[in-house]
Amino acid sequence: MASLGNIPQNEKSKSFDIVETYHRLLNEDPDLTMPVAAIEALIELLVQSRAVTVYETLDLVKTQSDYLKSRIPNSISLSAGTDLFQRYMISSLKPSSTGNFETVRQHLLSNGRLFVSRAKAGRERIAAYGRHFVRDGSVVLTHGGSRVVGALLGKAAEASKSGGNVRFKVIYVINDARSSESKAVVFALRAKGVPVATISEGAVGYAMGKVNLVIVGAEGVVENGGIISRLGTYQIALLAKAAGKPFYVAAESHKFVRLYPLGQYDLGIDQEVIEFKTEDEDDLSPEERKFAERTPTIEERKEYFDTGIDLPKPNTAVDAVDFTPPALVLALITESGVLTPSAVSEELISVWW
Amino acid sequence: MPSSDPPTAEPSPAAAPAPAKANTAKQQKGKEPATSTDGSKLSGAELKARAKAEKAARRAQALLEKGTTAPVAAPIPGQQPKTEGQKGPKAQHKRGNSMSLEVRNVPVRGSQKAAPVVPAEPKKEDKTVEFFRHLYKLRTTSIAGASKEVHPAVLALGLQMSNYTICGSCARLVATLQAFKRVIESYTTPPQNSLSRHLTSHVLSPQIEYLSSCRPLSISMGNAIRWLKLEVSKVDVSVPDAEAKKSLCDAIDVFIRERITFADQVIARSAADKIKDGDVIMTYAKSSIVQRALIRAHEEGKKFRVIIVDSRPLHEGKHLAAALVKIGMDVKYCLINGLSHNIQDVTKVLLGAHAMMSNGRLFSRIGTALVAMEANEADKPVIVLCETIKFTERVALDSIVHNEIAPADELVIPGGPLEKWGDIKKLQLCNPMYDVTPADYIQMIITESGNVPPTSVPVLHRLGNESQG
Repeated sequence: MASLGNIPQNEKSKSFDIVETYHRLLNEDPDLTMPVAAIEALIELLVQSRAVTVYETLDLVKTQSDYLKSRIPNSISLSAGTDLFQRYMISSLKPSSTGNFETVRQHLLSNGRLFVSRAKAGRERIAAYGRHFVRDGSVVLTHGGSRVVGALLGKAAEASKSGGNVRFKVIYVINDARSSESKAVVFALRAKGVPVATISEGAVGYAMGKVNLVIVGAEGVVENGGIISRLGTYQIALLAKAAGKPFYVAAESHKFVRLYPLGQYDLGIDQEVIEFKTEDEDDLSPEERKFAERTPTIEERKEYFDTGIDLPKPNTAVDAVDFTPPALVLALITESGVLTPSAVSEELISVWW
Repeated sequence: MPSSDPPTAEPSPAAAPAPAKANTAKQQKGKEPATSTDGSKLSGAELKARAKAEKAARRAQALLEKGTTAPVAAPIPGQQPKTEGQKGPKAQHKRGNSMSLEVRNVPVRGSQKAAPVVPAEPKKEDKTVEFFRHLYKLRTTSIAGASKEVHPAVLALGLQMSNYTICGSCARLVATLQAFKRVIESYTTPPQNSLSRHLTSHVLSPQIEYLSSCRPLSISMGNAIRWLKLEVSKVDVSVPDAEAKKSLCDAIDVFIRERITFADQVIARSAADKIKDGDVIMTYAKSSIVQRALIRAHEEGKKFRVIIVDSRPLHEGKHLAAALVKIGMDVKYCLINGLSHNIQDVTKVLLGAHAMMSNGRLFSRIGTALVAMEANEADKPVIVLCETIKFTERVALDSIVHNEIAPADELVIPGGPLEKWGDIKKLQLCNPMYDVTPADYIQMIITESGNVPPTSVPVLHRLGNESQG
């Protein structure tokens, strides 16, 4: 294994395409989140790598993570996973952990797998914490296709079925351009007997008076406790604040990302949301239109990622995200408990020190 | 009355030490018989307290006879014999254990109560502002009267601090540590003594005292001095002098390098990263670390403008403006009265810090809070650049309890209408040095250990101290 030397090993790692692996993992398991998929991809990389020293391994993981990040249009969520994994590697590959490198590597791999399985279980725990926020007779407003929120509401609905007296209604904000991802959640909830109303994004302010609480998911939770989420979350948070309704975020703690945006335009990614034009032309090219109308199932993702582009396209309005500042977030429901936004920073400091 | 009184006397600890002090307030006198007769035991602590009270009374008496206006214990002559006479019965006081502690507090309490009485004597009008009266300190502005133990390097430094030649939290910290290094270098442990026991109490303390008499110590200086004392106390008794001194000096060098030099580099880099093309950066007065960050961003080829807001009396922003213009940056300079006009163009506000309090509040040059408030009102992000050495476990709710009052004459423009302000009746000038910015106005603190929200100040402070000690 170790006899392969440097040059063949480089060729070997070239043949392993981390971006492809990442997409394959996302496709195989619809329940997988981006950070976890990134970590799983890195674990596969380690399995296949022929690195024999600690430094080599770290270097390999770093370059591959950077490569992966550069190939994905919105790498915020994914970078939470790669950063966490690198951090974990550095702490577990310390010189103090003696023994030969191979045992350390095996240990790393098995722990990495444990991490992935725990991350998947995290969603259930969030649902268990979060369902207590849904009181009897309340109306919950939500938005986007967050799987955590889906699980949370599903859990709350099940509680009402199994003899609990939690009867609640859901107002689902649906973006026309990507309604299909929400439709799956709406369908599942209605199947459980939860009355669901779907409204357009323009109707949020109108509907806010009937709402008791807002729960949304997040792509990433940033250092100051704010969240990065599907475009439209920020305005919902603002409206909730103006109406005095609690705004909760359900997110796994592996989505905590070392990023500190100061505002909407400081996310470190390019987004084509505001485009000034003088010619009256079609907003979307046929290709993009097809993409916009896709259903966000596995095949669609494949189509999107397999466009063969070398450099990632900036996020279009459909895929764009916005930043919700911590002042608008009442609490974050994570698998390790319900946190205030300021606790996120402490959590991140404790991980990174 | 005596036997039925305990319910009122017992729960109020303030009543217990009252008889022990010469200058008790009048309303407390009524309680004295009550507390004095309800017991006959005499504990050791009580005896100690009594001796102390007697000593204080004697000293106060002596001062009074000298004709000086005693600042701490200024008793009213009429009260003196009365309390003296009450000492007999008072000695039978019962609650001895808690007493010794309380007695120690009395001089402070007494001075506050005595204060309004003192100006009753016909004398010069008090020109201090009432709210800030606890902060007034006479600054040493010459080496006359300095203790002979003070090292020449420290003497010079004290004067430089007092006339703002060395100004700014970090500069003062570094200069102090350098001076202390020279103090340590010239130190020899006297025979029958060990360095770890002798150095701090007999050599460092007078230096620190002198420095704080020139200008109150900054928070960062306090942190560093605490660290240095700890280092000295860790020196092994068996280590020879030369070796111990060398290791201490090396430790100081490492401290300066890690906590300031490297920290500044890291902060300047992260802050420069935050500056984007097309930004308009506003800053207030002059902070060395803000200056470094701006220069670094400029050197990285970023195109941005800077608006420097400044204020009287120190006009520190002028130095910053001059330094930035020299390297060809686009700078606008305005005084604080132009703030609300200029805030509209701004995209980010960078501020320096004197200290970060544990409740996330920023303690910085007076006027900073105003800038942060305006920025917040206009929805512009406020970023504070601060080394973790400036973090403190203390909290601040306002800028009155803890502050520094500079001489009021600094506010007076020579030849201006206020020139003879001292002679104008009922006119007081107040020149505080710092103010407190609420945490809500601060979006981000850039430190050498990362960018954090103001709520994480206590966390970083704890971590910084753990790694230190």
